[in-house]
Amino acid sequence: MTSETNQEFNFYEDELIDEKIAAQQTAIEKEIANEQKLVGDLIELNTLLNEYLAEDTVYRSKITELSERFRYMRKTRGDGNCFFRAFAFRYFETLMGKPDEINKLKDLVNKFTSDLSQLGYNSFTVDDFKDVFIEELEKLNNTSDIRLLEEIFNNSGSSDYIVVFLRLIVSCYLQNNSDFYLAFLETYQSMKDFCSHEVEPMYRESDHIHIIALTNALEIPVGIIYLDRADQEKATPHNFPDDSNPNIFILYRPGHYDIIYRN
Amino acid sequence: MSGSNQQVESSSNSSSTTTKKNENVPTVTKDKHSVSKRLQQELMSLMMSGEKGVSAFPDGDNLFKWIGIIQGPIGTVYEGLEYRLILDFPNGYPIVAPKVRFESLCFHPNVDENGNICLDILKEKWSATYDVLSILLSIQSLLGDPNIASALNHQAADLWKNQALFKKHLLDKYEKEVKSKKI
Repeated sequence: MTSETNQEFNFYEDELIDEKIAAQQTAIEKEIANEQKLVGDLIELNTLLNEYLAEDTVYRSKITELSERFRYMRKTRGDGNCFFRAFAFRYFETLMGKPDEINKLKDLVNKFTSDLSQLGYNSFTVDDFKDVFIEELEKLNNTSDIRLLEEIFNNSGSSDYIVVFLRLIVSCYLQNNSDFYLAFLETYQSMKDFCSHEVEPMYRESDHIHIIALTNALEIPVGIIYLDRADQEKATPHNFPDDSNPNIFILYRPGHYDIIYRN
Repeated sequence: MSGSNQQVESSSNSSSTTTKKNENVPTVTKDKHSVSKRLQQELMSLMMSGEKGVSAFPDGDNLFKWIGIIQGPIGTVYEGLEYRLILDFPNGYPIVAPKVRFESLCFHPNVDENGNICLDILKEKWSATYDVLSILLSIQSLLGDPNIASALNHQAADLWKNQALFKKHLLDKYEKEVKSKKI
């Protein structure tokens, strides 16, 4: 206890740096928000060529090849929720005008809601997200109007609530199957700890374990196409689960997921 | 350094909610509507909870700013003390965490001079399923169980290991700065 005042005040420096970083981050987020809708319009996949230099032959030839099998895509906002949002949009799109399948999903949603309550989650806050999730889902019962879906997913009120609920489903599934999934964790001691750091908080990016858990929880397979600098002719596909035949495809470029459509 | 940059702009929150949600209204309206609804539900559940050691209530007519009160946990150096907190709810709540700080000065390893709190669930571990009650209970338990490794007040962190000395210092400060302002 030598210099009391010094000790008392030296946290200000850290605090200032924290604030600067926070301000910078907010500015970056605003810029991203202005440039990219939460879920973008349908565009041709080969427009991605514009993002790469002419001499970037690895990317360019992979994109050209890929666009022959997947002509269209939708970009999603790179806010850390892109996997969940891309998956949800495309999944909801496949459910449009199919009340039977929508009802099946509703049953599953109710099952996860009661599982969450058994895990000790606050029922009324969980219900808030479940209610919006089901309310938006039910709007799709008798329609194939894609503009409605685009509206739901570009309204952060509904879009973010849907993302939160999917994150809760993943967290619930992982905690209830932790015997199996614990082996995949490197830096976390418990599944609860992993979920409260890496799954439930919004804007936290998704990894393999999130994808595996979500596809298993909902029993909806997904194909991820990896587009990177790896020295191969084609972008590498990977289905979750391995032996599945998915209808939902997502393009992964390092750090980001977009929706793509198979011809 | 003044506390000014800690101030939260809450004035934009106080404008009235317009129409109920409708497919064609702009996004902001629906957001605002659901945030108010959620905060009203939280207020109800807080009042029904029967929790004795913590309470919170909106500050006047503004549903987006609450005053919280927590009692120091029994069996800790904070027993018998009472602290006031300010909770500011952004438009993006509960997707975005509320800003919570002590209004009363609180001598604690994880609370700074301006009342800012270093608590993971208010930052990187924030989940939209937390509510005001769980926040208040977490802060209450933080009082008796500080995280010394990420201290904001290093003097308090150093003193913590000597509980008798800590308590004396704490009570002196409380007497001087919290009680005197109460009247």
